Amino acid sequence: MSAPFDRRRLIMAAAAGAACALMPRSTDALATPPVGAPLDPEDLPAREASWYRKLPEQRVECQLCPRACQVADAERGACGVRENRGGNYVTLVHSAACALHIDPIEKKPFFHVLPGAQALSWATAGCNVECKFCQNWEISQFRPEQVKSSYLPPAALAATAQRAGAPLLSATYSEPVIFWEYVRDAAIEGRKLGIRTAVVSNGYIQEQPLQEVLPHLAAIKVDLKSFREPFYRDVVRGELKPVLRALEVIKARGTWLEIVVLLIPSLNDSEEEARDLARWVKGHLGAEVPVHFTRFHPTYRLTNLPPTPLATLERARETARAEGLDFVYLGNVPGHAAESTFCPACRTRVIRRVGFQVLENTLKDGHCPSCRRAIPGVWS
Amino acid sequence: MSRRLTRRELGTIAGLGALATLRPVRAAVTSTTILGRVGVAALPPPASGARLDRASARRALEHALVAATGAATAVDAARTLFAATDTVGIKVNCLGGPNMSPRRELVEALVAVLGEVGVPAARVIVFDRSSRELQRAGYPIRRDGAEYRCYGIDNDYEPNPTSSGEIGSCFARLVSQTCTALVSFGVIKDHDLAGVSAALKNLYGVIHNPNKYHDHNCDPYVADLLRHPYLRGTLRLAVLDGVTAQCHGGPAFRPDAVWQLGVVAASTDLVAADAWAWRVIDAERARRGLPTLAAANRPPRFLATASKLGLGVGDPNAVREVRA
Repeated sequence: MSAPFDRRRLIMAAAAGAACALMPRSTDALATPPVGAPLDPEDLPAREASWYRKLPEQRVECQLCPRACQVADAERGACGVRENRGGNYVTLVHSAACALHIDPIEKKPFFHVLPGAQALSWATAGCNVECKFCQNWEISQFRPEQVKSSYLPPAALAATAQRAGAPLLSATYSEPVIFWEYVRDAAIEGRKLGIRTAVVSNGYIQEQPLQEVLPHLAAIKVDLKSFREPFYRDVVRGELKPVLRALEVIKARGTWLEIVVLLIPSLNDSEEEARDLARWVKGHLGAEVPVHFTRFHPTYRLTNLPPTPLATLERARETARAEGLDFVYLGNVPGHAAESTFCPACRTRVIRRVGFQVLENTLKDGHCPSCRRAIPGVWS
Repeated sequence: MSRRLTRRELGTIAGLGALATLRPVRAAVTSTTILGRVGVAALPPPASGARLDRASARRALEHALVAATGAATAVDAARTLFAATDTVGIKVNCLGGPNMSPRRELVEALVAVLGEVGVPAARVIVFDRSSRELQRAGYPIRRDGAEYRCYGIDNDYEPNPTSSGEIGSCFARLVSQTCTALVSFGVIKDHDLAGVSAALKNLYGVIHNPNKYHDHNCDPYVADLLRHPYLRGTLRLAVLDGVTAQCHGGPAFRPDAVWQLGVVAASTDLVAADAWAWRVIDAERARRGLPTLAAANRPPRFLATASKLGLGVGDPNAVREVRA
């Protein structure tokens, strides 16, 4: 009997299958490997990184994420996908997709972006943090040579979305910040074909690269892991402050923004923390930014904690609403009423969802059909 | 109400059970470690471009083993550390390429000594992260046959991570399942972040995510890795190829920072081996007018942490160098 697939192999197998099924038949004349071809893990395509500076003695400083890794020759940054080669910093994941799926946009989750639309979702290996609760650690916590990847340059990615009838590209699963050049180039290629790009990120990024790529993006969902620095330090191996700054930058730029908060029992699920978070969101970003409180399931290095009780999620939602947030959702609780969108003025349900499925959408040109209040989002 | 176990949980529990049943349990590190003692034997570099003379390499390695353990002979020394039934993994550090990797002649000398203990060559596995790195450093790739095996981990890791302190990593199955005894066979070089790369930093090559553990001069991560049961129960010996060493610019090979140290070192205390390497590197840096590693903001902090955890002697001044 063959061995059962583990999660990592399943993701890769699905990606390989999707790649075969979705890839354009032609090959990119500029590309070395054929489009869709499996990449040799020992010979990944290397491209010079866009955000770094050179230091003496062939060292470099990465200027992509707030870690600002100083990297000696032959070494890699904490993300594991950027390498110093003789004083030049290169990314090893540009055009190296290790996961490729078509998902409903609600799965990201985006609840205010083209409801019911399909998004061609892709990822590369690597991440710049190490969340102990990572659902996709089989790709995010591995180096690119440790996972199976296919050569999928930006133009081919956009063409694949077009062939599949997906109006959106979505950089997701692992951490798009670490393949930021790939995200930028895919968004540019996508726009040429009328395909928009949405990003699902931890928001742990320096301001300059964020500012440079935002104009190419239609929407960003940021995982705000907690509203406490100790949580970021101990559970995420990151920092809260730069994430809050990134949220402000995204909002100020006008790119559509949604926030997800995974509530983990005993670690970040207090009412006080939910209140502080909601007050900050309202004060710095505005009441109309959707916030999703989602349910934790034990995984990776946090297998000793139970799933989040529904009551905890509902309490967080009530707290956030009491603080004045207009759109507060619950996630990973299929069938719950808080998966649907309600008009904050008259409480009419304007989009009805179950799980990732949109059952009914009564918005009229982005307005409540009952009271005509504008519901913010990317609706068309 | 109890809940059903998932397939993964079931597999983990079953795996742990099997591990407890099948793995030979030897408290070798605690019972055979001679704390703070590093044996050092002279081994002059060959002429430029030439390979090490095999007889000289064997003689120097044997002298270092004797000096490290106080045993009458190298075979006696090895016999206190390894059993004839062991499958011995020799982790070499070939990141520095052909010019800054453990020399094959020295590694093969150790294989020969192990043979005299009764460990057949076919149960000795020389390994590093990837077969390509080994090849680049001049090692033959061999997965079968009567001679020693030599191949890379090549992504053959445990499917699930295990934790040790701050470390959460998937270990090479060579380490977690195959080998019953391990040797860290490193070089002596400066490391831009860790300070020193010798016996301990070499062990980063057995986990899937070393890039996550370079903050704060790799502290406490190196010590946390060393105390992981997979390593603490099996690491018996450190050998350092110090024929040439590198005092600056590591971990990559930097010819202008290499000097002819002309020794091979061995220790059953891996922490002491690194502390000794720190002392040696700082001495050379002083000769060249370079700041100490501490002054250069990369002291190997993990050594003090390893000492506090009782894993060995991390104070360079407390290490006893025994010359052969």
